[in-house]
Amino acid sequence: MRKVFLIMLICIVEIFPQQKIADELINSVITNFNRVKDYEVDIEIKVDVDFLKVPDSKAKIYFKQPDKIRLKSEGFAMLPKEGLDFSPSALTKKDYTAIYEQDVTLNGKKVSVVKVIPVGEQSNVILSTLWIDPIDKVIRKVESTTKTNGTFTIEFYYNDSFNYPLPEKMVFTFNIDKLNLPKAFTTDGNTPKKKKRLPDAPTKGNVIVKYSDYKVNKGIPDSVFEESK
Amino acid sequence: MDSKNEELVIEIRNLSKYFNELKAVDNLNINVFRGDVFGFLGPNGAGKSTTIRMLLTLIKPTKGSIKIFGKDLFRDRLSILKNVGAIVEKPDFYGYLSAYKNLEILGKISGHEISNKRIMEVLELVGLSDRYKSKVKTFSHGMKQRLGIAQALLHDPDLIILDEPTTGLDPMGMKEIRELIIHLSRDQKKTVFLSSHILNEVEQVANRMIIINKGTAKVEGNVKDLLDATNLSVTVEVSDVLKAGSLISESGWSEKLKGISGNRMEFNIGNQETAQLNKFFVENGVDVYSIVPTRSLEEYFLRITQEAI
Amino acid sequence: MLTLVGIELFKVFRKWRTYIGFIAIGVLVPIIHIAMVYEGKNTIDFMTRNIQQSFVFVGNLLNTYLISYIVLTSLTVHIPFLITLVAGDLLAGEATAGTYRLMLTRPVTREKFVTAKFIAGVIYTNLLILWLALMSLAVGYFIFGVGELLIIRGDMVIIFEQKDVLWRFLGAYGYASLGMTVVASLAYLFSSLVENAIGPIVSTMAVIIVFVIISAINVELLQSIRPYLFTNYISSWQLFFDNPLDVEEILKSIGILILHIVLFFGATLIIFKRKDILT
Repeated sequence: MRKVFLIMLICIVEIFPQQKIADELINSVITNFNRVKDYEVDIEIKVDVDFLKVPDSKAKIYFKQPDKIRLKSEGFAMLPKEGLDFSPSALTKKDYTAIYEQDVTLNGKKVSVVKVIPVGEQSNVILSTLWIDPIDKVIRKVESTTKTNGTFTIEFYYNDSFNYPLPEKMVFTFNIDKLNLPKAFTTDGNTPKKKKRLPDAPTKGNVIVKYSDYKVNKGIPDSVFEESK
Repeated sequence: MDSKNEELVIEIRNLSKYFNELKAVDNLNINVFRGDVFGFLGPNGAGKSTTIRMLLTLIKPTKGSIKIFGKDLFRDRLSILKNVGAIVEKPDFYGYLSAYKNLEILGKISGHEISNKRIMEVLELVGLSDRYKSKVKTFSHGMKQRLGIAQALLHDPDLIILDEPTTGLDPMGMKEIRELIIHLSRDQKKTVFLSSHILNEVEQVANRMIIINKGTAKVEGNVKDLLDATNLSVTVEVSDVLKAGSLISESGWSEKLKGISGNRMEFNIGNQETAQLNKFFVENGVDVYSIVPTRSLEEYFLRITQEAI
Repeated sequence: MLTLVGIELFKVFRKWRTYIGFIAIGVLVPIIHIAMVYEGKNTIDFMTRNIQQSFVFVGNLLNTYLISYIVLTSLTVHIPFLITLVAGDLLAGEATAGTYRLMLTRPVTREKFVTAKFIAGVIYTNLLILWLALMSLAVGYFIFGVGELLIIRGDMVIIFEQKDVLWRFLGAYGYASLGMTVVASLAYLFSSLVENAIGPIVSTMAVIIVFVIISAINVELLQSIRPYLFTNYISSWQLFFDNPLDVEEILKSIGILILHIVLFFGATLIIFKRKDILT
């Protein structure tokens, strides 16, 4: 019993400093991001998923602190749920435990790897890994494992000359189990013969989003975020 | 009317039509000359309609040939049919269209330019001009029969083939049709091929005729010749058959006596002789109750008609 | 010939039964539209439920294209009935009415008569599909507007750009017209054989239903004869919604349909030319 207590104590002692570093890193990112009160940005979305054929689309994203976000498009546009709102507070808005792991080099930049474990049942995410740039105070990569949607990775690319911690490109990669599509409206069985996927092969895909023409802190009325239907 | 030297309008040679085992028409030969009103007589089921359908290319013969206007019917079908008007069996039309529209459609494919005036003219001729807008499905059988004649005459053909044109008409209508046929023949010099199962009808309008039964020709010739007085027999009903008998045996009438049954005596005599015989009986004190002429052709026709039934 | 076609068209369009098809589509399609006003969102949710777990999307997916696609899919079984109603009556109707005797004793060749009637039937068929297209697309446009087309083909979710859809529909309707012309020519063939219009309608539908059932049964033997059943190609208008377009497959299917039309019509021509008109 005493031994167990000792191990636990050691663990706590060991973890605490690491957690402290992790929290600091995350907070620095959040603080940095909080300079952005709102933004409006044009995006170009390219979806490349083998069970999904979607044309390249253009849309606008509106964001307002703390958590108002809206995807708007004249035509059709789709984004991975996790790829819509990349504000760090969204990634970490629920209770979590963060642990600093190590420093690595990612795409020529030195980054700190931080593991984030959400606390509580309600979160879909089981474990996230953040690659945080401690100098630029931005997240450069996120990898999350979810309960239902498999694993996804988001990589952010920033324009160094841009004043705000907002990405110019995001690459969203996911790897999920097969989706069961409803068989409705395919009654004739005339399916295209050529590209048959293996029934249980996991689905890979990526979505590339390019951001351009940011309008930051220009003020966005709340009405923009209201459902217009 | 002797038509032997005239132009043949219809020339049917060895015509046969078999439906499986049934010989509907068997080795039929017919000549119809220009200007003829040709009676095509036979009981129901004799093969009249089958023959007429072959004349109009609705049915292909099993054997034999048909020439119309001197041309082979099945080779020169289009040019021949341009000049033929016909009604075949019961008159059927597009019931959902008006009488006028029906004629308009048929006019368009008649091979001739048919003016609206012409359509109204034929409707007038058959007495339907006041109903020209009515849908044919509202017409009585008689009216359809008239419309049938109207469409047959629409393009002013040289040869008119009428299949039982008076069926379903009232006596007045029958008379009108007969008069129309006579008018077409006499005044417009049309050739009419008239099928009927009523001898009397043919007799009144036709100059030549043929009687067919079970697909084959039985009697053929000039209507006048066939129905000539020599072929007439008369049944005389008298008051006293014994007295009449003795009177007859003493006179030349005995040669003409065919038989006696009851108080009826049958003679082979013509019209004039009938009057003389009547006078003879009355002058010699025998009362004549009735004189009924019966003709051998009629008897014959009656017999085959009854057989057919 | 033109006169004859004109006459036949006139006759077709003076008949009440001709309008049954137009009325049926004119009532059914708006009903689907109305249903989609209320249920359309659920339909889209149903089609996209798996994607919704991972994606957010915006845009007007409930639009006239989607509804027209659904209408086209669900009506391919029923429109043949409307087609046979008229095509099966073309010749048999004349037999029943006794009007062969009127038409065929005129100086018109039987070949022309049969061809003119067939052309009238084909025109009717195409007008019916055109009407379907008009009802689906135009009415839908006024209610739902246009947008991207979301469909599920096999195990793929495909979304077509708005500007990439209309030509596909034109191709699909054109193809559907051709498919329905096969149905019409089959009904026409049966129509030349009998003396009443019910026979051809029932037999054509029977053939179609039997063929569709054979196609649907997933047994190796039956599946192997599937490519030889013409019904298999009637619904191939969906090929126009492949991305990329399988042009070879489309041309092959079109070829097979045309072959059937030629075959059925040719048989009708031969049969009718030799036919004794007994009605």
